[in-house]
Amino acid sequence: MVASYEDLNELQLDAIREVASIGAGNAATALSSLLSQQVKIDVPNVTLMEYSSAIEILGGPETIACGIMVRLSGDMNGIILYLQELDFINVVLKSVFNKTVDRYDELGEMETSALIEIGNIGISSYINSLAAFARMDVQLSVPAFCINMAGAMITVPMTEIGYESNKIMLLDGNFKCGGQKVSSKLLLVPDVQSLSALLARLGVNK
Amino acid sequence: MSSLIVVGISDVKIARTPGVLITYALGSCIGVCFYDKAASLGALLHIMLPDAPEKIDNVFKYADTGIAETLRKMESMGGNRNRITAKIAGGAQMFHVPGDNHLGNIGRRNSDSVKLNLLKQRIRMLGSDVGGTFARTVEFNTATGIATIRTYGQHDKDL
Repeated sequence: MVASYEDLNELQLDAIREVASIGAGNAATALSSLLSQQVKIDVPNVTLMEYSSAIEILGGPETIACGIMVRLSGDMNGIILYLQELDFINVVLKSVFNKTVDRYDELGEMETSALIEIGNIGISSYINSLAAFARMDVQLSVPAFCINMAGAMITVPMTEIGYESNKIMLLDGNFKCGGQKVSSKLLLVPDVQSLSALLARLGVNK
Repeated sequence: MSSLIVVGISDVKIARTPGVLITYALGSCIGVCFYDKAASLGALLHIMLPDAPEKIDNVFKYADTGIAETLRKMESMGGNRNRITAKIAGGAQMFHVPGDNHLGNIGRRNSDSVKLNLLKQRIRMLGSDVGGTFARTVEFNTATGIATIRTYGQHDKDL
């Protein structure tokens, strides 16, 4: 059993990186066909960090972003948060509506729905492929959406695991659209028990 | 701006006048500004959760232990709890997942716990800006006792 995030060894971190990479790869493929352009994702980072440093690494607390959040339940409990900034949003809007925006407050209901839908498809592809690979049964909630300071959105999964840990485990991936790096990040934050279950399924639980 | 003292998550910083304390992007977390004008002392506490469990890892993570410990520290620096006043901000709900109460309530539970614990410690609360669905950055000026709340897409607000 893994009692806390700090207990993970190198082999286990590698295994987690491997499944994250399967999930991210599938999300990228789904987005590629939706946006009719090549979407790639870097090999995901698996990092364990203090709350305050997590916020810094994700671009500073007051950066405004659009966040789509889905809660996971079943064999895996946790939160998946998909953060998108204007450059990625414009890739989506260009492809769906053939338009772009300069500011977040120009996003209307139609644009917002499209972003939620795209986000939800990315998230579902990620989780479904990860769940299939690890033979886990994972349910996804309806997506929740907000445009605000990214720092405050990241504290949502942190409060969720706050009673268990002072550190947060982030599985994150950066997207590239048509060869260009865009500010779009998928963060998966599983709770400690689910992480143990996942490692057991992958055969690397001590 | 040179003397801006940054308060992290689950953290407290105490400053002597005219220090300026700041904490960024409070979502469901709460920023509590403590002020003792006569002692020229101000503190900004950033709590994340309402009540401490039995085994405490960090007292400043929780409203109950965070408030108690901040008051103790201020008193050890010459503050007096009969004079200390408080202003609070945060406790928002960033995401609303339909049919999911557990997640949404944390901001509300935090603000309830902060208010209750200030009451228990007999600290007067002079202002509050809690709830809603947006993040808040709090800048607390110990020269004036004013807490300025910065949000996205709205005007700054002074408490």
